[in-house]
Amino acid sequence: MINPILLVAIPLLAAFLSIMVKKLSGVFLFGVSLFTAIGSFFIENGSYVIGGWKPPFGINLVVDDYSFLILIIVNILFFLTLLNGMWDLKKNETVLLVTLAGVNGIVMTGDFFNLFVFMEIIAISAYILASSTEKYYSVFKYLILGTVGSSLYLFGIIILYGTAGTLNMADLASKLPEISNSVKVLAFTFIFSGLAVEAKILPFNSWVRGIFGNSNTLTGPMFSTVYATVSAAVVGRVFGQILTIDTNLIYAFITLTLMTFIFAESAAMASKNLRSILTFSSIGQAGLIITMFLLGGFYAALIQLVNNAFAKMVMFSIATKTYSSNEDDDIDNLAGIFRKHYMMGLGFTISALSLIGLPLFFGFYGKINILQTAFATNMWIPAFILIGSIIEGIYYIRLLVKLWNPGKEGDESSEEAGTSYTILNGFTVSIIALVVGAVFVVAGITPEFLVENIEKAANSLGDINTYLSSVMGGI
Amino acid sequence: MSQYLYIILMLVGIYGLLSQKNIIKMIISLNILELGLNLFIISTGYISGSNAPIIIFENDTNFVDPLPQAIVLTAIVIGFGVTAVALMLARNIYKKNGTLEIDEIRGEDND
Repeated sequence: MINPILLVAIPLLAAFLSIMVKKLSGVFLFGVSLFTAIGSFFIENGSYVIGGWKPPFGINLVVDDYSFLILIIVNILFFLTLLNGMWDLKKNETVLLVTLAGVNGIVMTGDFFNLFVFMEIIAISAYILASSTEKYYSVFKYLILGTVGSSLYLFGIIILYGTAGTLNMADLASKLPEISNSVKVLAFTFIFSGLAVEAKILPFNSWVRGIFGNSNTLTGPMFSTVYATVSAAVVGRVFGQILTIDTNLIYAFITLTLMTFIFAESAAMASKNLRSILTFSSIGQAGLIITMFLLGGFYAALIQLVNNAFAKMVMFSIATKTYSSNEDDDIDNLAGIFRKHYMMGLGFTISALSLIGLPLFFGFYGKINILQTAFATNMWIPAFILIGSIIEGIYYIRLLVKLWNPGKEGDESSEEAGTSYTILNGFTVSIIALVVGAVFVVAGITPEFLVENIEKAANSLGDINTYLSSVMGGI
Repeated sequence: MSQYLYIILMLVGIYGLLSQKNIIKMIISLNILELGLNLFIISTGYISGSNAPIIIFENDTNFVDPLPQAIVLTAIVIGFGVTAVALMLARNIYKKNGTLEIDEIRGEDND
């Protein structure tokens, strides 16, 4: 058993050491990320007081079943992403170590201002990572939106602090019924707008196309899996458990997230580039997952979160690898590329089919639970989710047919009509794609070993009393 | 009620971000936004007629709320980091495009 603060402290320490000992920075990066990936299995539930100031006065880290699940997923994803993108590190080892400290901290923290600090740590390292693709103007737009978003978040939590006199999550949750509705509406809107920038919700997601669409083999999987998982999980923690919305405001938020889902899936349908399609699909999935968190369907949201994270990692690493090998990712030019690279093709296909929720794959349980949760509310929400899912299914199937099958429609496909493009250095990517694909298939047939843990996490997210007693019991 | 003044300062910053077409001016607008926010946070902890929160005698209870000041200190450092990254990007944009006017920067769609 290890103290969870080590998951934040050791990456930070290694980040400072990697500046001093530049030659060993790669060793630090892979060693520390392997340590956190293994170490996240060995942390115990509970509330951990930092610096001797007991909550609600000091900062505490909370490990419950929910943050435990997210920690394991995020650390495994981080390590696999590093393996996928090790050719594109470009001296970013220090930044990546800081990112690792930030993502571990933001998942566990029990304090709203501490969450803001970790959010900014992650955001600043994201700007530096994204600028390694040399699309500086896109990064600048991301920086402006991200900074305005985190300022709005800070404004929101300060309004809550001025009213309730506390920034501790557990303390604030217990004082929430005493706050008047008008203050809550104002503060929640600011907090949601702030978190929505990183979570890619509609009016704040104009940065995503420039960052995801221009990504290389490191930043593409990193942004679409680690960052996306963490930002959605934070929205789940904040709005699912702590700041429960009991007014009509929740319908305004759900309208935004559903619109994100529908519009992003439609935009993906109209896209012609592999990375653009996956970008818009990422935005759409973020909208769907956050809709589920807001509706209270934590179990469905978490299954889809896990499903989306691993599927996007495989697909984005193959897509960015294709781009970096050929300087082009137009799907018409890529027709039939999986004939040559059938291992990657198999992993990509299984991930895509699991993402759209076909039976026999793990994603099926996500889609069926999403629909069950949606049908329990009213008839409009499931209608929108079904329309979005159908659009998603159509463009993914069309994409897969194109990538496996060269030649024009109606003609007999032949090897000669296929693309001349190849994928270089694809060994690690194909092994990871095959392993993740195998897990998707096995989990689709016998889902028990994954679903049980996810159900425990969902129950702990829905149970505010256990959270309160674990934090306040620490006093 | 000086809080309203600081909120107006924040709105000036947002207006600058929306209306300015020069990257340096946008960074300055961002800083005005953060400055307004920091002043607003400080003002929430202010109690008229109180001392600075440095406790010398234990029975001294007449001091302002120290937590917003600690928060602002952290927020200033974070704002400094963001500004540094933004200026790094501005320099690279100028090296790549030869201009800081966003109307003259070629689009960076995935090519």
